[in-house]
Amino acid sequence: MSTPTTTPGYAGSPPPSPDRPAAPADVLRIDGLHVQVGDLELLTDVDLTVRRGERVGLIGESGSGKSLTALSIMGLLPESLEARGSIAVTGVGGRHTQVVGAAERELAAMRGRDVTMVFQEPMTALNPTMRVGDQVAEVMRIHHTVPDRRAAGARAVELLDKVGLPDPAEAARAYPHQLSGGQRQRVVVAIALANDPALLICDEPTTALDVTVQALVLDLIVRGVEARDAGMLFITHDLAVVASVCERVLVMYGGRVVEAGPVHDVFTTPRHRYTRGLIGASDLDLTRPDGRLYTIQGSVPSAGRFPAGCVFRNRCIHATVECESVPPWEGPGPEDGFACFHPVVVRS
Amino acid sequence: MTREFRRQRTSLFTPAPVVHALRGVSLDIAPGERFGIVGESGCGKSTLLRIIAGLDQPTSGVVEVDGVDIARLPERRLGFLREKLQLVFQDPMSSLDPRMKVRDIIAEPLVAQGKRDTLPRVLELLEAVGLQPEAADRYPHQFSGGQRQRISIARALAPDPQILVADEPVSALDVSVRAQVLNLIAELVDRLSLTLVFVSHDLSVVRHVCDRVAVMSRGEVVEIGATEQIYDAPQHPYSRQLVAAAPRLRAALAGRTAADLAADTLAAKERP
Repeated sequence: MSTPTTTPGYAGSPPPSPDRPAAPADVLRIDGLHVQVGDLELLTDVDLTVRRGERVGLIGESGSGKSLTALSIMGLLPESLEARGSIAVTGVGGRHTQVVGAAERELAAMRGRDVTMVFQEPMTALNPTMRVGDQVAEVMRIHHTVPDRRAAGARAVELLDKVGLPDPAEAARAYPHQLSGGQRQRVVVAIALANDPALLICDEPTTALDVTVQALVLDLIVRGVEARDAGMLFITHDLAVVASVCERVLVMYGGRVVEAGPVHDVFTTPRHRYTRGLIGASDLDLTRPDGRLYTIQGSVPSAGRFPAGCVFRNRCIHATVECESVPPWEGPGPEDGFACFHPVVVRS
Repeated sequence: MTREFRRQRTSLFTPAPVVHALRGVSLDIAPGERFGIVGESGCGKSTLLRIIAGLDQPTSGVVEVDGVDIARLPERRLGFLREKLQLVFQDPMSSLDPRMKVRDIIAEPLVAQGKRDTLPRVLELLEAVGLQPEAADRYPHQFSGGQRQRISIARALAPDPQILVADEPVSALDVSVRAQVLNLIAELVDRLSLTLVFVSHDLSVVRHVCDRVAVMSRGEVVEIGATEQIYDAPQHPYSRQLVAAAPRLRAALAGRTAADLAADTLAAKERP
């Protein structure tokens, strides 16, 4: 990779401009998203684009704002939180939704149809009092993607078969508690894919699963998304999972995107000091000369306790006075770049 | 050793069904050894740990700690075990009493043994786990997850144990903090010459900390051996599956996709 260059006119992020519509292939385009509660800013200036057929990872530790980003896209923010900026979704058949400020009616039409979501914990994502077949059928009935009740039931069984449940007709009649964790997550994936969405958001979909089940569910999600040529936003704290699943990645810390780029480049030649530290701390095969693991000093502050300026500076050994102001974004665009005054120097 | 649990009776005319949580488990852990137990949820690793710690009793079999069979001892005669063996749990929030100050939490095992004037020892322990002396007068909720786990470790070390048993001590922690806590455990085990029993679902974590590892599945130990050997050349189909299914950063960057992971996992199960 060449040394990063600053592109004039791209400092931080551009103001959200309604006159700049999403390109046809963009299923999701977030411009300058801010989310705050009272005076406390939880997300700052988030830019993110996902195109059709593209798999984008969003990584970060707890409190970095990745789940909040997902909830913002779905229009599921609690009422006490206030969002500013632009979240443009181009759904099935080119239907356009501006999520920020949209009416609930409009959002309801988008959720489960244009954009769907797989959550971390399948037991809480499913309704415990409803047979799983009916839950898969429900999302198709609500959005009228099947002609009638009978067709929905038949299609639900077909979907349960596709996600690899043994004896799908029998499984459709089961209640969530009668299934294992992996089977439940397969049902959640079936619901998310039922209406052939344009964008699938996965928020830590395999964190609650055993590692052997995780491998199979990840494969299932990727195949489902590929078959529909949908875009995917994959949120996790596990770098190895992102590297197995995604093409592009954004690194979040303290409610900001601190680095973005192709997965291979970001993980092999990270530029932001936080990304570098995170990779070092995750790689259990890599040890210091004394046999210990590489670490990042300190711990992730709670929301609102991040320092002003560079959010990572209180844990960064390279931080200087300069870091007390917000570092500008360096790189060709929001999809590839970083925000750090003292980036890791790339040896050529 | 075995451990069976009776489930609730479903009929008046049939005996209650039995769950075999542990089936014929045998293992020896040498003094000073760093021993790992790996397995997925429901494999019996926590039941085994509770029995080793004298918190539960086996249905049949013998558990010897320093030559004493603890399996049949009543609680009042387990005092020696409480001094000798200490535990660190997975979730540092639920294993620390939210209404106790850190100094009282760390001193509790000492107080239980009738020791007085515990503050000097508490301060010594706080330093050993990398916390400031001011931490003594704060409450658990004022700390982050990693710091709480340091408090749990300090409490476990308070009675100067010889055996440290850790049940998934880093799985609730952030990645950047996980490495710190793993380093701390490794350092303390070295410095205090402790015997470590480390339970995890993650083979790569165990590999970093332990010399020898037992792989458990469905209540049985299916493979036991040197960590490197099991990591590099697992023999039992289940261990092979466990190794194949774990996503690794380097392999993924070299082009190993989710489809490859899934295919390898299934192949590992079927290979003779």
